[in-house]
Amino acid sequence: MSDKLNQILQKQQQQVDEPHKKEDDVIQLVGFIIGQEEYAVPILSIQEIIKPIEYTRVPSVPTYILGVFNLRGSVIPLIDLRSKFKMDPAKVTEDTRYIVMKGVDNTAGFVIDRLTEAIRIKSSRIGPPPETIHAEKGLVYGIGMRDENILTILKVEQLLKRDF
Amino acid sequence: MEDIQEILEDFLVEAFELIEQLDQNLVELESNPDDLELLNSIFRVAHTIKGSSSFLNFDILTGLTHHMEDVLNKARHGDLKLTPEVMDVVLESIDLMKSLLHAIRDSGNDTSAGIDITDICRRLDIISNGETAPSVAVAEPVDESPVPSSEEDDNTDYSKLSDKEVEDEIERLLKMRKEEDRKRKENSSATKAAAVPTPSFESLKDSDEEVTPKAAEPIAAKRASTADAGANAPAKKESASAMEQTIRVEVKRLDHLMNLIGELVLGKNRLLKIYDDVEERYEGEKFLEELNQVVSSISLVTTDLQIAVMKTRMLPIAKVFNKFPRMVRDLSRELGKQIELEISGEETELDKSIVEEIGDPLVHIIRNSCDHGIEDGATRRAQGKSEMGLIQLKAYNEGNHIVIEITDDGKGLDPDLLRSKAVEKGMITEREADAMTDKEAFALIFRPSLSTAKVVTNVSGRGVGMDVVKTNIEKLNGIIDVDSEVGQGTVIKLKIPLTLAIIQALLVGAQEEYYAIPLASVLETVRIPLDEIYTIEGKNVLRLRDEVLSLVRLSDIFGVKQVYEGGEHTYVVVIGLAESKLGVVVDTLVGQEEIVIKSLGDYLQGIEGIAGATIRGDGRVTLIVDVAALMNLAKGITVDIRASAEAVVKTKTVPSDYIVLAVDDSAMDRNIMKKSMEPIGVKVLEASNGQEALNMLKSAEYSIDAVLIDIEMPRMDGYTLAGEIRKYSKYKNLPLIAVTSRTSKSDRLRGVESGMSEYITKPYSPEYLESVVRKNIKL
Repeated sequence: MSDKLNQILQKQQQQVDEPHKKEDDVIQLVGFIIGQEEYAVPILSIQEIIKPIEYTRVPSVPTYILGVFNLRGSVIPLIDLRSKFKMDPAKVTEDTRYIVMKGVDNTAGFVIDRLTEAIRIKSSRIGPPPETIHAEKGLVYGIGMRDENILTILKVEQLLKRDF
Repeated sequence: MEDIQEILEDFLVEAFELIEQLDQNLVELESNPDDLELLNSIFRVAHTIKGSSSFLNFDILTGLTHHMEDVLNKARHGDLKLTPEVMDVVLESIDLMKSLLHAIRDSGNDTSAGIDITDICRRLDIISNGETAPSVAVAEPVDESPVPSSEEDDNTDYSKLSDKEVEDEIERLLKMRKEEDRKRKENSSATKAAAVPTPSFESLKDSDEEVTPKAAEPIAAKRASTADAGANAPAKKESASAMEQTIRVEVKRLDHLMNLIGELVLGKNRLLKIYDDVEERYEGEKFLEELNQVVSSISLVTTDLQIAVMKTRMLPIAKVFNKFPRMVRDLSRELGKQIELEISGEETELDKSIVEEIGDPLVHIIRNSCDHGIEDGATRRAQGKSEMGLIQLKAYNEGNHIVIEITDDGKGLDPDLLRSKAVEKGMITEREADAMTDKEAFALIFRPSLSTAKVVTNVSGRGVGMDVVKTNIEKLNGIIDVDSEVGQGTVIKLKIPLTLAIIQALLVGAQEEYYAIPLASVLETVRIPLDEIYTIEGKNVLRLRDEVLSLVRLSDIFGVKQVYEGGEHTYVVVIGLAESKLGVVVDTLVGQEEIVIKSLGDYLQGIEGIAGATIRGDGRVTLIVDVAALMNLAKGITVDIRASAEAVVKTKTVPSDYIVLAVDDSAMDRNIMKKSMEPIGVKVLEASNGQEALNMLKSAEYSIDAVLIDIEMPRMDGYTLAGEIRKYSKYKNLPLIAVTSRTSKSDRLRGVESGMSEYITKPYSPEYLESVVRKNIKL
């Protein structure tokens, strides 16, 4: 545990120490896991991240829309990213979270398997989406290369767009 | 006097709103000249402004808009092509119309700005008539033209004066004007007289500021639109102190307040629910008393606050009704008919936004009644009616709705004439016309460009007014009902909801889901045995007293998972909208509740059958049913309710079909339970705590026949689990067997209270457990 903490602290220190002149080129993301892959969305598009709460099913909508839930008095749609990305459904675990993302005129909650971490990545390290991705068509902003793995960066506006 | 002032203000606010919209529409029209919808809406603006201005005696404005209307009407019917040249003239006339409105706002009449409309009217006529001889309409501006032109002469005179002379002249005119004001206050009917001196004063003021009178417009435009229209500068100062008692508040702020109250109501509902739970658990504790006091006072204050805020938005409908006596009087003069207007119920209150929207439609309906409804004196006499025509305007509350009734004793609507007119205009086919009931034929009057009037008059006959009525009433979710008898008269009923934000609803359960049905649409609820449901041509029907009602299951419409076997009886909610009725079969009736309507947001907008959502006392979201859409959806559902209700019951025959769920946090205990039940041969599932067990039950993956429950468990204990399970109607009779080392009497009592069916204390013999399970699942 303390090892992990140290790592995080070190990372934060690194981030602070990094030269600030290239601030514009650094994108801040929040990473999360769905299925086996790591995804990320820009940190500024996230309104909040909450633990799973009860939701109400809405009739005659695609299956990936689980329903609506009550976020302190607002009624917000809940979208299952697993099912949206055509993956097999999974059970709710201790790590499951709802990420509430906010767009220009829409807000929605997305179910993810677990959070990873806040990520800073240089925009030069983000490549265009590979053409082979089909299920997530149009949803991918780019692929972020990191030292140990790669990230799929999602387009929030596209995620929040009604497509049925 | 004050009434006139109020009406004038309303007119100005409305006219400026309309003009703003007009500008946008015209720009769009230029790039898109064939858009009929757009033309219709532009035409309606001209029509509405004409109507109101003629009522307020703004003759110049009326003349101008009448000419504009002629041109637009031609374009609307495709008799005229909107070339850029034509658009130029139309746009110019709209600019003039704006100048006139600004003049009215600043001086209270339309003669003061000295705007000459003869030329533009002539040009508009040329466009609308082609080269044919000028129609009656031209006569009007000719009559008016001397007035403005003489005004203009005055202006030029003034502008030639030196500064000093101008000052003196202002002084003189101001005195005169003050005198005039005083007189006006004494004599309330002298509105027209006051108009004479005002123009010279106004134009002088303008010429002083800007040299030419026409240039005054941009300045005027910047003044607040709420400016006291009839009063000039000195008069304004006088009245300012008297007006302090009321504050004008932006509607947006009130709306925001209303939203916040909505949140508060939800919070209150939630608090009440939590209090109930706490009360149950800690009965007799001291702090409950205190909590009770706080909760009830908060709930009281919230309710009062809600009513108070709703009241700030309520206005008596008199605000709208007040302008009609004058309008009817003027119209009856103009048309040469004798018409009496009877108003009742003007104290009825409704939401401000609705009061604003209702004005226009009423103007159109009443004008129509005067013009087409009431016959002239001679005809009436010949038919043995009294010469004096009667129009009744009535408002009253009906449940959560307000009803406005406009009745005339005129010639009534002829459904056959309407049908043939509509066919003639190609709006409907002959076949459709033949199939129409009289009521449906009456509804034709709300189609754009259908008018049965033979002549287009200054008052009506263009077939646009009733279109305005329909559009505005629909915007308010209102219902229009027309009834008429030839020779007897016409009754038009507008039924409009009181407020739009908080409604009463009936909460119903469909399987494990809950829905809210707006109470205004619920006619009654009945409980019926299943075998009273019959099928006719694949549709489910029920004989309710002397009528046959079609039935549909709410869970079929919304595709709710069928998990719960219904009993012999079921509940039917009879909903009604306009004239159609439908029986909706639900599984439970929860009750009536006041709900705050929330939108589902852009993402889920427009889902068929769902009007919105609300948040209930327990914090859960409940969807609100859209009754109109539900009726439509019901037509496509062909599920045999009786057959499917009977088919759900699955039969279990051999012991291995049965499933027992063992809930215990100790794996060893679960094993003992499993071993004890081996002789029965049932399948055993395991859960290590209450939460897990509950999820298994909720998922309905297995149909579980009995549950063995340990009391002390992490995350959710046995009592809570039992309580939760019993909340589900389908698990009302599921055997719950407590298996615990808690042996005290009070523990047993709590077990019974929480819904346990059996209570076994550890240690137990395997045989005992086996026999208890056997007994409970009847093996």
